[in-house]
Amino acid sequence: MIEARDLAKVYGGKTAVAGVSFTVRAGQVTGFLGPNGAGKSTTMRMIMGLDRPTSGSVTVNGRPYADHKAPLHEVGALLDAKAVHTSRSAYNHLLAMAATHGIPKARVHEVIEMTGLEAVARKKAGGFSLGMGQRLGIAAALLGDPQTLILDEPVNGLDPEGVLWVRNLVRYLANQGKTIFLSSHLMSEMAQTADHLIVIGRGRIIADAPVKGIIAGTRQARTLVRTDAAAHLSRLLARDGVTVDQSEPEALTVTGLDPRGIAQVALANGVLVYELTPQMSSLEDAYFDLTKDEVEYHSHLTGGPAAAARETAPATAGKYGR
Amino acid sequence: MSTRTTTPAARISSSAGSRGVTFAGVLRSEWIKLWSLMSTRILLLLTLAAIVGVGALAVLIRYTYLDEIARNAREQGQTMTPEMMEQSFPPGSGFELYNLPNAGLQIGILVLGSLAVLFISSEYATGMIRSTMNAVPRRTPAFAAKAIILVVISYVITTLAGAATFLIAMPVFQGIGFDLDWSTDGVLYSISTGGLYVAGVALIGLSLGTLLRNSAGGITVLVGIFFVLSIAASFLTLIPGEFWKYVPQYIPSEAGGRFLSIGHTDGVIDPWQGGLLFLGYVLLFLVPAMILLKKRDV
Repeated sequence: MIEARDLAKVYGGKTAVAGVSFTVRAGQVTGFLGPNGAGKSTTMRMIMGLDRPTSGSVTVNGRPYADHKAPLHEVGALLDAKAVHTSRSAYNHLLAMAATHGIPKARVHEVIEMTGLEAVARKKAGGFSLGMGQRLGIAAALLGDPQTLILDEPVNGLDPEGVLWVRNLVRYLANQGKTIFLSSHLMSEMAQTADHLIVIGRGRIIADAPVKGIIAGTRQARTLVRTDAAAHLSRLLARDGVTVDQSEPEALTVTGLDPRGIAQVALANGVLVYELTPQMSSLEDAYFDLTKDEVEYHSHLTGGPAAAARETAPATAGKYGR
Repeated sequence: MSTRTTTPAARISSSAGSRGVTFAGVLRSEWIKLWSLMSTRILLLLTLAAIVGVGALAVLIRYTYLDEIARNAREQGQTMTPEMMEQSFPPGSGFELYNLPNAGLQIGILVLGSLAVLFISSEYATGMIRSTMNAVPRRTPAFAAKAIILVVISYVITTLAGAATFLIAMPVFQGIGFDLDWSTDGVLYSISTGGLYVAGVALIGLSLGTLLRNSAGGITVLVGIFFVLSIAASFLTLIPGEFWKYVPQYIPSEAGGRFLSIGHTDGVIDPWQGGLLFLGYVLLFLVPAMILLKKRDV
């Protein structure tokens, strides 16, 4: 369990984290989502005691990380895949970390095997690919068989098989009753892996809710309607609480009325409707809705990444929404 | 991964062990870190060879010099005893024979001091420091373990090299009649203090690496303190007036160097005072480094 209370970090006048409070519970995967520069990594570094909070506090399993007698058994962290001496072999890196806690060599071999690093374990870590570096970072995090696992962008640079492996691993560990705190910029990954989401933007918590709740709660259900008489149906449907957007000559997007209601209006007025599709709201939609005001680094070419991506969101909604 | 319950007592699976951080464990970890780098092992071997090599060269130079004096004396029909030869050197010329084991010490200062800077600055450069701090979040034990390992390694290598140098010097000078062996005044003293001096330099190097978090910067400052500063200080003696002649002895390299010699010289601090002053310089770097290591973000 991780508990942050009014946790804040200011770097030379710039607020990275502006007093956040949240709880990461055991037995589930908690996703930590936010745009670049939102404060995810800073928050994770403060949890691990690498950065000292400007104010507020954070505890892991009941106390500040540094106060634990066996920190590697309490928390395993992958914060930066490059937290390795480039000239040292993966095996010796893990062996040196294990030595601090008297973790036996057998466990070092075990995590090497678990992460699929056998073939490269004796090679210098500096020559590792991004994906191999991530595997080594995960191996180091698992070394103490910790109760809490903190992973910053763990699937970054992994191949599809590696992504699947991380997903299964964290789900398995969460089922074992462990606390999993996972950051990712891949919302599809979050939708498939996380149970609970904490969304951060510009150093503030924007949302802290179960994944299903965030998807359902942020955007009203929409229905795609295809009809021969789009303009006519649009006028018939228009009333309080219902918005109708005409995206194509024969297609309407209706918000505020369910498909059955739309069909009734069409039937009563003799309008032919040849498609009536409920639009699944995706985590991606929800995320862009939540963070549209919080994105720190806007791209001005396309009117901002959120806006650009939102236009394409309905097309990908089916892929992510189920 | 073994299955297990979530009650705290039974939480740690047997394969990962259940012990916490111990200082012995941190020492072992830092030892593995040092020796698992091929570059360190090669560097330490070369350092040992270089100190002995420079020492042997110094032995050769002194032998040639003394041999020439003796030959000149013979040609003029005089006999020069080793005692007379030794007295022919101006005091403080560095020609005292008991000091021979430390003839190659400057190499040790340069290489072992730089290695000490790198021992921690390379962790900042590669990001390894975050792994170190994750495993030892109290931080100070990791620094202390690095310091102890550097002190032991510097001391062992320097004294081994000093003893080896002396083993080369002994038969050479005995051959021209000098009464030089392990029991000669100052020999064992200079060997052991030479090791302590280089260990102190290593601690300053480790502190510089911690304070500056930069390999090039740390080594540059170290060279500045132990080589450039002593050259700069020697210019002070050119300033007219007695006062300036006594200032340079207080800089770190001179105070540390004085610690390695024996006997009292008027107007010069005694060896033990030099040693204490040098220890003060070590603490001047070590204490702020430990405080900042504990406080700063990594």
